[in-house]
This record gives sequence, C-alpha cells and structure tokens, in this order.
Amino acid sequence: MTRILFSDKLDNCVAKWRSAGLTVIGPVQGESLSSYATVEKGTDLHLGMVLPDRSLKELFFPQTEPMLRYTIKKNEIETADFTPPSAQRIIFGARPCDASGLAIDDPLFGWDYKDEYWFQRRNESVIVTIACTKADDFCLCTSLKLAPDSTKGTDVLLRPLDKNRGWLVEELTDRGREAFAIISEYLQESSETALPTVEVPEKFNLDACVAWLQNPENFDSKFWKEISMRCIGCASCTYLCPTCHCFDIQDEGDTYSGIRRKNWDSCSFALFTMHTSGHNPRSTQSARWRQRIMHKFNYFPGKFSVNSCSGCGRCSRQCPVDMGITETLQEISKL
Amino acid sequence: MTETIHNAQPNIYKPAIMKIVARHDEAPGVRTMRLEFQNPADHEQFKKTFRTGMFGLYGVYGEGESTFCVASPETRNEYIECTFRQSGRVTSALANADVGDLVTFRGPYGNRFPIEEFHGKNLLFISGGIALPPTRSVIWSCLDQREKFGKVTIVYGARTVADLVYKHELDEWQKRADVDLVLTVDPGGESPDWKYRVGFVPTVLEEAAPSPDNCIAVICGPPIMIKFTLISLKKLGFDEKNVYTTLENRMKCGVGKCGRCNVGSVYVCKEGPVFTAEEVSRMPAADL
Repeated sequence: MTRILFSDKLDNCVAKWRSAGLTVIGPVQGESLSSYATVEKGTDLHLGMVLPDRSLKELFFPQTEPMLRYTIKKNEIETADFTPPSAQRIIFGARPCDASGLAIDDPLFGWDYKDEYWFQRRNESVIVTIACTKADDFCLCTSLKLAPDSTKGTDVLLRPLDKNRGWLVEELTDRGREAFAIISEYLQESSETALPTVEVPEKFNLDACVAWLQNPENFDSKFWKEISMRCIGCASCTYLCPTCHCFDIQDEGDTYSGIRRKNWDSCSFALFTMHTSGHNPRSTQSARWRQRIMHKFNYFPGKFSVNSCSGCGRCSRQCPVDMGITETLQEISKL
Repeated sequence: MTETIHNAQPNIYKPAIMKIVARHDEAPGVRTMRLEFQNPADHEQFKKTFRTGMFGLYGVYGEGESTFCVASPETRNEYIECTFRQSGRVTSALANADVGDLVTFRGPYGNRFPIEEFHGKNLLFISGGIALPPTRSVIWSCLDQREKFGKVTIVYGARTVADLVYKHELDEWQKRADVDLVLTVDPGGESPDWKYRVGFVPTVLEEAAPSPDNCIAVICGPPIMIKFTLISLKKLGFDEKNVYTTLENRMKCGVGKCGRCNVGSVYVCKEGPVFTAEEVSRMPAADL
C-alpha cells in the first residue's frame, strides 16, 4: 500500500502548509517566462508544463543577492551581513532535473569554504518532485544517466496517476516525511499504480563524449571553433542552467555607503576572465564555449565526481541560435 | 568597527578591515602599502594561516576587490604588504587611499611555496618588473632564516631603471655578502649612471649560469619572460620539478566557487597560485 495525494486536495494541502508557516513554491506561468515562484493556492500551480523556462537554481542562488551593507565613516567602516530571510519552504512540483541540479552544486558551494547563502536555503527547503510523464524534444536526462524519476536532490517523489487525478507519494527523506506529516489528513492509502514515466531517448553516448573531452589533444581541436561559430555570447544558456554557478561580486552605492552583491555571471562573456593588463586567457567565443563544455563534463566531475549537467535541455531550448549541450555532445559523438 | 551578525556561520565573502600604516612609491604607478588588521581575531586567523605564496583580495568598499599576492614574508606576519600597479578601478581607489585610511583584505587564500623542502638547497630567484612582489615574499621568508639555505642568487630585471621596484631592498641585497644579486634592464632602459647589466632576463640568466645542482628556482614575471626563462633554465640543466612559479588570473571569490580562474581543470585560487614548471607544462597552454 502506498499513499496517494489527490489533485482535488492540493488546495487544502497548500493552505495547510501555509498555515504551518511554510512558504509554498511551485511552477507558475509568469508574464513572459514560466518559473518556480511562491503561490497562495494550489490552483496557482501550473503542474502541466514539461518544465518551467527558468530553473530552480534562482531560489537558492538568486540572480542578484545582497551580501553586505557598508557604511564608511571617519576612521570607521561599519558592515552588516545580509543573510537570506529565514523561511521554511516547500517546493511543490520540481522536475527531477531541477532537483538534481541542486544536489550537483552542493559540493561546489561547500568545498573548504561553505557558502551559507546557498546552504541556509538548502537547509530550509523541502523539495517535492513530480516524476515526468511528458517530455519535449529537448529533454535529455537519460543521456546524462539520470531519469524522468530521478530522486537526486529530492525529499518527496510524486508519481502521477492517470487523468491528472493525483500522485503516488514516495517520501525519501526525514525532511520530506515531516512536511507530508503536516498534510497527512489529505493522503489516502491506496493500491493504485502510477502512470509510467515518459520515454526520453538517449541523444548521445556520454562516456564516449567524456573520453574525447578528457584527451588533452582535443583541447586545441578545430571542432571548438566550428561548433561555436554561431554563438552570440548572450549567456542565456548559463543563466537558465540549473547547475551553472558562476558569479561576480560587485559594489552598488557611493563612497560612503552601499551594498556588496553577488550576481550571476557567465563564462560566455569576454570580461569574465579579462585581466587588467588586457590579456584574456579565453579571448574568443570558441574558447569560452569550450570552457563551458569542459567544465561541465571534464573539470567539474574531476573534482566532484558528478557531471555539472542534469539534462534539462534549457540551454538548447532557449538558445537564440540553436546551439546547446545536446548539439555539441552529439557532434562530439561523431568525431 | 561595529558589526551586525545575523548569521550563525561566518560570511565567507566578508573581508577584514585594514588600516594603511605606510605607503611607498616604487616605480611610476606602482605603490607598496603596509596594512594592519583592525580586528585582533582577523589578525590571529591570518597569522595562523598565512604562508608565503598565498594571495588575497584587496578592496575598497564602493569600488570592489582586486586579487594580488601578499608581498610580505611569512616571517613578518604582524602586517601585510602589497604592491600594485594602478591600472583599474580598485587599484585606482587603493592608490587614492592615504596613510590612516581603511581598506579591506580577504584571505589569505591558495597554496604556498613549500619552503621546508628548500632547506639545505641553493636558491635562484628570477623575476621581472612588477612580478618581484610575489618573489620578494619568498626571498625574505628565506633570508629571515638564512642559515637554512645554501647559496642565494637573485636575478631581477625591468624595462627601465625607473621600473625596478623595491629599490631600497635591492640596495640592501646588493650589499649583503650572502646574496648574489644580478640586476638588469632591457636594452634602452638604462640610465647614464646605470652600473649593472643591460639585457633581457633570460639572456642575463644564461650569462650568470647558476648551477642547477641542488638548486631550486623560483621564477615570476610576465608570460613572455616566463616562457623564455624556462627555455634558458632547461639549457642550464634545471629539472622542471625544481622550478616554481606563481600564476595569476582574474578572480572574484578566491575560494573556488565563482568559476573563472581555472586553467584547464586547475583552479588557480585553490590548487595554486604556486605551481612547479612541470605542473604548468601539463596545463593547456591555450588557456593560460
């Protein structure tokens, strides 16, 4: 016997979680792009989309984040730390690729120096993931050895029933069990079976691609120039990516007071690596695209034993010139 | 300094406040500043962790942070000295700061020169222009415990006589019987009263021909100097494993998260900035 959460109880659950002090977050259709955002009622949740345009990352690592406020006085500098507003959150309806993305970046934000901006939010969030029963042509989780029902980074996995009636509940962590204990009155014991997850065809052989990337000779391959010729360096791929974590630190203010911020940055930009002297180690768009691919499939796994890609496909889906990880790795497979 | 701490954990991006206690103009646009910690806890932490070769992010609130080495040696950790060329936004703000003003320091970060492994060995320091500061940290760390090392040779060159930094220390090293200093300026950079060598560092190095036997070389300079100096060292018979250098790249966090300072798979901020020439030779040259 497993427990079932029926869709018609979702409004009650959201209300219950909210009255228990949890902020409820889920996929919503924004004015232009869909994203994960705070909802007030279950009916605000858009659970039918393949996945939101924007990834889950921004709820843990916002596009811009104040870190310090400084006030400069005569012979004195006052600083105050900003920390994320403490809020217990439940993210309802994450996709497995987005939940995996969080787990992939945990070791990066934690090695040696622990980034509390990331971990405070990680510790205060329960991730309720819905297994995928539909996909689009850009989805590639299976190519990354993940699946439409991967549980990486997930606290509770929901498996959809037919006709949008609800979900089978798989509680995976204590944090997930605690959150679902709050709504236990709306869960029903049942022996129903869930819909099968969607078939996502494998788009390339990851191991072969990684072996090619690891071969030092291929660093200078003319392939990089050819594949990235049409990249316009807009950085959409990195901003929408659930695992891209690069950031800049900038001060906003005047000489006497202001805020030091951590902002998303991107390896697509020339300024990203430009020295003051004018020398730039990655001075061409091809060198920058090579960095992105190498980082995800060679350098990052070399350090953290996991690829820095969870197969959401946003980089290809939203690319204005039809590039992306899929296209690049498919071409590498042919080399 | 008053602080409001909302965070149970220390904020890893928060710098220490430093007071400028002295400053000295080294060369046109190049300045050295001596900084003292304002918070004793920050100073204790620095004394515990700092070893020669490490770097820091020096900053001015409102302008930002900039990465350069700690130019003072580990044997003198009551203060931090940094030497920088005024060229960008942060270094201009630092250059505008006067003695008594407050600036910031975040660090020390990165790895270090394994000085203990140099004990009993001859040391050859080769440096060019504004790259003497990182070398100087190692030089003084060794000279402050001179008895532990063999022969010490310093080869230092700059474009012009005016561009030589630490001129007062060069005089001091010149006078010491236990240091062999070879000074040079690029052809055309000599002044009428220049009494030392004229020539590029690699050429002058080959003329000085230090023996590679039981010798560690530490080189630091602009990429073009490093490239040709490595060739010269090879000619002189130095093993790449005994040649150390320090790399620098644009950095924002200094702690392996902001994602830009890597050369190939190597994060300069965490695995560096100190590398042997052998390690550098394994990095993809196109990413340097």
